[in-house]
Amino acid sequence: MPTLDLEKIKKEIFDSQLWRSVFRGGVWKDTPRDRAGHIIGNVWLHLHPVKVRPRALKWAYTWGMGGISFALYLLLTLTGVALMFYYRPTIGLAYRDIKDLEFAVTLGMFLRNAHRWAAQAMVVAVIAHMVRVFLTGAYKKPREFNWGIGVLLLTLTLFLSFTGYLLPWDQLAIWAVTVGTNMAGATPVLGNEGPLGSLVGMRINNDVRFTLLGGTMVGENTLLRFYVMHCVAVPLVVGILLILHFWRIRKDSFSAAPYAAAEEKVDVWPHLVKREYIGAAGTTLFIMIWSILQNAPLEAIANPNVTTNPSKAPWYFVGLQELLVYFDPWIAGVLLPGLIIVGLIAIPYIDTNPKGIGSYAWKERPFANTLFLLGVVMWFALIFIGYALRGPNYAWYWPWESWYMLKAAPPATWSVFGPKGVGAYPMLLGIPLIGGLFGGSILLPKLIQRELSGKKLMGGFLAAVAALAAVGMAMGKMGATEGAFLLFFLGASFYFGFVLPQRHIRTLDWPRYLVTMVLVVCTMGILLKMCARLTFNIKYLLTIPAISMNV
Amino acid sequence: MSYRKAFIVSNALMLAAFVWAFAKDFNAPWRPYQKKYYQMSADVLEKKAADEKDPKKADVLKAEARKMRHSPMEIKQIISSDLGRFDRCVTCHVGMDEYTNPTLKNDFTQNPYKSHPKVDSALVKAHPFTKFGCTSCHSGQGLATTVEGAHGWIKHWEKPMLKGVTIQGACVKCHGNFETLKGAEVAASGKKLFRQHGCQGCHAINGWGGVISVDLGDIADKPFERIAGYNFKRVKIDGKELPDEHHDSHWNIQNWIRGHLVNDPVAVTPNDPFAHLNAEPIPPSGMPDFTQEIRREEADAVVAYLSGMTKEEVIPYRYHVPAPAAREPQLSGAAHGKYVFEKYGCQGCHGLEAKRGRRRFNASSSAQKEYDPKMPEKEQFEQMSLGAEPTLPDLMGTYTHEELVKKIESGVSAADAKKWSPKGPMPMVYMPSWKGKISKGELDDLATWLLSIAKKDDSGF
Repeated sequence: MPTLDLEKIKKEIFDSQLWRSVFRGGVWKDTPRDRAGHIIGNVWLHLHPVKVRPRALKWAYTWGMGGISFALYLLLTLTGVALMFYYRPTIGLAYRDIKDLEFAVTLGMFLRNAHRWAAQAMVVAVIAHMVRVFLTGAYKKPREFNWGIGVLLLTLTLFLSFTGYLLPWDQLAIWAVTVGTNMAGATPVLGNEGPLGSLVGMRINNDVRFTLLGGTMVGENTLLRFYVMHCVAVPLVVGILLILHFWRIRKDSFSAAPYAAAEEKVDVWPHLVKREYIGAAGTTLFIMIWSILQNAPLEAIANPNVTTNPSKAPWYFVGLQELLVYFDPWIAGVLLPGLIIVGLIAIPYIDTNPKGIGSYAWKERPFANTLFLLGVVMWFALIFIGYALRGPNYAWYWPWESWYMLKAAPPATWSVFGPKGVGAYPMLLGIPLIGGLFGGSILLPKLIQRELSGKKLMGGFLAAVAALAAVGMAMGKMGATEGAFLLFFLGASFYFGFVLPQRHIRTLDWPRYLVTMVLVVCTMGILLKMCARLTFNIKYLLTIPAISMNV
Repeated sequence: MSYRKAFIVSNALMLAAFVWAFAKDFNAPWRPYQKKYYQMSADVLEKKAADEKDPKKADVLKAEARKMRHSPMEIKQIISSDLGRFDRCVTCHVGMDEYTNPTLKNDFTQNPYKSHPKVDSALVKAHPFTKFGCTSCHSGQGLATTVEGAHGWIKHWEKPMLKGVTIQGACVKCHGNFETLKGAEVAASGKKLFRQHGCQGCHAINGWGGVISVDLGDIADKPFERIAGYNFKRVKIDGKELPDEHHDSHWNIQNWIRGHLVNDPVAVTPNDPFAHLNAEPIPPSGMPDFTQEIRREEADAVVAYLSGMTKEEVIPYRYHVPAPAAREPQLSGAAHGKYVFEKYGCQGCHGLEAKRGRRRFNASSSAQKEYDPKMPEKEQFEQMSLGAEPTLPDLMGTYTHEELVKKIESGVSAADAKKWSPKGPMPMVYMPSWKGKISKGELDDLATWLLSIAKKDDSGF
């Protein structure tokens, strides 16, 4: 009776011409040569090095967020391509195709949910990745350029998500995109509503918003443009930048930490690859379960004649929308996001602190970490306010208040400097005064060469503000809420905008110091403008209607 | 956990999640209904086969039963390309699917299994399902395959299935002659009531009627976002608040219209007469209170009629049946004047038979107390509500025939209103100019009738 010799069969299969032609490298013996061969012999795995520093493998160090972001990108590509088989980007068919996916296509709802939720998760994962890289100082020399590519990838992730938002062609979609693209119309010079726009001949039908929309309002052309950008143009650019990003990571040998004496690299196969697989599998599992349990939103079919109230941008842009309460669109929608992007890219070039590379060094990088986290917290706090606390007519509603209870329109606002200002102080006084204040705040911390006591400074400042508020309240000019706002916003901007820089970066060289302080003072400007609005109901500090310039 | 274990577990879990997703998709809500329909029909056929004496016929029936029992599960749909509909209703309501049930009849009594009622009636015969689909008449979401979704009982589907007599509104969509149709009696009575109470005095329909308020020619398409910002909280039907939010789709256009007839519209749309929320006072709804004149069933009839007022649907021209030419009654003099009064909806503001002017919020009238700014708001509101349109017989006595004709022709502009509370809102309702709308002969007779009912001033002046 012939026996079944498994070993022999295995050998015959693995040694067959067919097998050998597909998988090279002979029988797997788990030698270092085998492991290296696995990476080198595979075009996909070859973006990895053969060996990697062991500290780059620690979950507590990397959070796995970069890998998870890429896993989500792959997941989105996969589900996105599947969805493309069912979706036609015309206003007559788009909404119906989504309904078909929901009700008639096998696994259509699941696919759409997975695509939707993975997109939201990717925005969060990419931001978390950036926060992690910042906190571990992993952007410092020689990784400055790769950090910049990362910032571009974050921007493109948001843009991908934004362009996809329009495709279901429901009320949620067109009004969110209307809010988003209207901000583009306020771009300085290039937008018809932006400062200087009309001077260079920008009209509603030739400016940057028109280019984006393919019309003067969200319509058929916009849908096609967003579809092509979403499915082809932007993913291509993202793909190219991703390869660059990964290649640089490989060339810069993963972890940024200085080498320890007895550090020995380990094989990427299996040590890194298995972790990547588990991260990706966990992410996929998470998205799958989320997609089974919760359906993606779909509202009534888009109707350009019926504005939803409130109309909100996609959640990751709601923070900027919230800033529209305090700033003109060109500032909230163009200048500030532009400053954020440019500022983020500039960080590695202005941060000369050699310490705190490759570890969570809170004590060694107090200024960088505090200011960066302040920015992140402000970004998400504004999102929370805009998303959860704004109701009909964009009025403030606490979570326990019903949106059916209508609120009074906000009281009339006033402007400090400018022809229409209620105070009506002349513009010529306002420009030097506000410019001087801005410039002074930038220069002052460096001009005081002696280190001041933070506690005494803060104590004195808060006492002064409290006294001011008390006087204001006694005169009946403000209530307790306004007083609290004054204390909070002025205190915060004084601490982050003066005390901290004075202590930590006054010794920085002038060019780096100036760039840093412009970014810091602009951030404080947001807090101060919020304070001016909430406490004194000021709309503009300075308004120059001739060139639509309002601050 | 080692990575080897994590690898196996995560793969197993992903597979399990996929199976879960697939099972959820596979066990779509429509499936049990369709399955049960096949079983029930097969049972009926088998019973017939058992009762059949002729073995050949019995075999045929048995084969039919077997085929029915093993019919494939599928999403069935009626594609009505003319009317732009893809109605998947027959996926569950299999008895109404001509391919599965060619006779369109069965003995089941329960939905969704039972067949369409009255399939032999002229009404159904004239509207074959394969040509018209389901939602052309019934409304609802034809593309959906879930119970809530298909009936339109979800938040973002604004045309839920029409309930009860309201479905007669569907006749109005295409049939200009619906008043002569069997089966559209309620809608016809709705139109009659609409005219009788003078709604057309303020609300035009497709351009015919007054200009005081909105044209109701497309009222059935009114987006809910425009209904006080999606707020039905103040609409009470039979004295009860509607079930919260959108359950079973009670927040629909039918209840919005009905709410204006069975409530005082001022309670439905109170707005902001004391400028609490806005810089300027905004008067409440200018619509009169019809609760004393129109009963609940009558309100339902008006709702049925207005449910057919849609412009959203693209109904090909050949589907429309024109109305017969309007016939004017052969009247003359004061009798014709009274007819003219009702034809143009004057009673909408001046009351049935011009007996009593209706409410004109914050207009000054003799029934009110002297305005006093210190009066509490509630009392002020009551006083403002006492403002009224002129009660014509009290007023007409001092007019000559020519003056009266001129007055009706020119109207009274809203700005000429005398307000009771100078701080309050401008009265909403005003007398529009009827010049060119009411013909010269009609005007003469109208004036004749009005003067005939005017109270004569016997005091010697």
